[in-house]
Amino acid sequence: MRLVLCAVYLFTAALVFAIPNMTRRDLLFAVPVPPDFRESRAGRHAISTFRTTIAVVMVAGVCALLLSPAKLLNATMAAVWLAVFLTGGISFYWQNRRLAPATVQFTRSREVELTATPEELPQFAWLAAGPFMILGAAAEFLYRNWSRIPGRFPMHWGAGGQPDRWAERSTKGVYGPLFFGAEVCAWLLIMALAGWFGSRRSRSRSVMLGGMIAGQYVMGLLFALIAVQPLLGIPVWVIALAPMGILIPLIILLIRKMSEAEGPIDPTPNECWKGGVFYYNPNDAALFVEKRDGWGYTFNFANRRSWALLLLLALAIASARFILP
Amino acid sequence: MAQYPRIRVDLASGVPAVRQIVENLRVLLVEGQLFPGTALPSVRRLAVELGVHFNTVAEAYRQLAAEGWLDLKHGRGAVVVPRVVSPVRNKAWAEDFRNRLRGMVAGMRSQGISAARIATELRAMAKAVTRS
Repeated sequence: MRLVLCAVYLFTAALVFAIPNMTRRDLLFAVPVPPDFRESRAGRHAISTFRTTIAVVMVAGVCALLLSPAKLLNATMAAVWLAVFLTGGISFYWQNRRLAPATVQFTRSREVELTATPEELPQFAWLAAGPFMILGAAAEFLYRNWSRIPGRFPMHWGAGGQPDRWAERSTKGVYGPLFFGAEVCAWLLIMALAGWFGSRRSRSRSVMLGGMIAGQYVMGLLFALIAVQPLLGIPVWVIALAPMGILIPLIILLIRKMSEAEGPIDPTPNECWKGGVFYYNPNDAALFVEKRDGWGYTFNFANRRSWALLLLLALAIASARFILP
Repeated sequence: MAQYPRIRVDLASGVPAVRQIVENLRVLLVEGQLFPGTALPSVRRLAVELGVHFNTVAEAYRQLAAEGWLDLKHGRGAVVVPRVVSPVRNKAWAEDFRNRLRGMVAGMRSQGISAARIATELRAMAKAVTRS
């Protein structure tokens, strides 16, 4: 189980390590730069400093995961993940500040087609129903085999793969994970639709929609597997790795699609980007805008609807206490 | 695929976005690229696409509606309507027009554009106006 944890951790840390490669060439640490800036001394120095910092944390994290006593494995896992994300965030922000003087002043003009044709979702959007069907099928399966479900069964596993929370054969115990999974999938669907209708028309918009739908499948599959585990006795490592089978190719695909430079950068004002990551522009009606760090879209935090969506997420997470056994 | 008229707004220019939208749309209306019956994008959609506030687009539509170009119906968006204009009888319009042109020419020249180039553009414009 430790090796599985290390593999997942390494993959996550490798993604943070590769951040400078995941952006179009005219963006570096969310700063608009000339396309050949990466080859300049300042560009190479910024990238190598960022990578060295992440590499040190990555190696330290693997050592900690391998050497940590079994009792402390849960805490160690949380700490190493937090460390890699925090270091990545701080280092990214630091490089963003350092490169700010190299910012290219690009045109802020936008050209728009005057069409009143209603916005239509792409045909593949119907795939968003899939995860709900998976959860529904799992519920049906559990209902039909109710008598075969053990009276008490594991519901949550610690980092070492040992069960650390149990549930009983009750409506909450059996269907709770499915309800929670449906809630998470519904939130992702709302985000996908808000992203489609609340952002500017561009090719990346379809990629974002596809990514959110794929995210729904990951969550739907994960919670369906957890729910049917007492009946089928699925090993915990399968539950942990099965969603990864979707998640890893998805992330790689998204990064490839998003980093393909097409057309000019969305001309959002430089001064509205806080640390290159947070966008706050009360004069922009868009709810979502293309990010400058190569990771898809982000909220326009000046738009009240973005806070409503975050509140919905907070409510969904908080509801776990009442829905999950 | 159908080609739709386009408008361009430069948010870095000193000209307020609402004025740019009104002027862009008015050009398309006068040139007939937007004709009676044409539905314009909703305020929300146009604001998102241009990266401006909803109120900016709403104000631009209101100004054009006040000039008689658009019909704003709640829930239906903005639709171009036939516009009947009685000729201006006041002679002061010519003076006002010349003053505005002079101001624009001065602005162009202050940006380093040669007088010959400006004259060429004005001649081309005059030809286009005569044709329409």
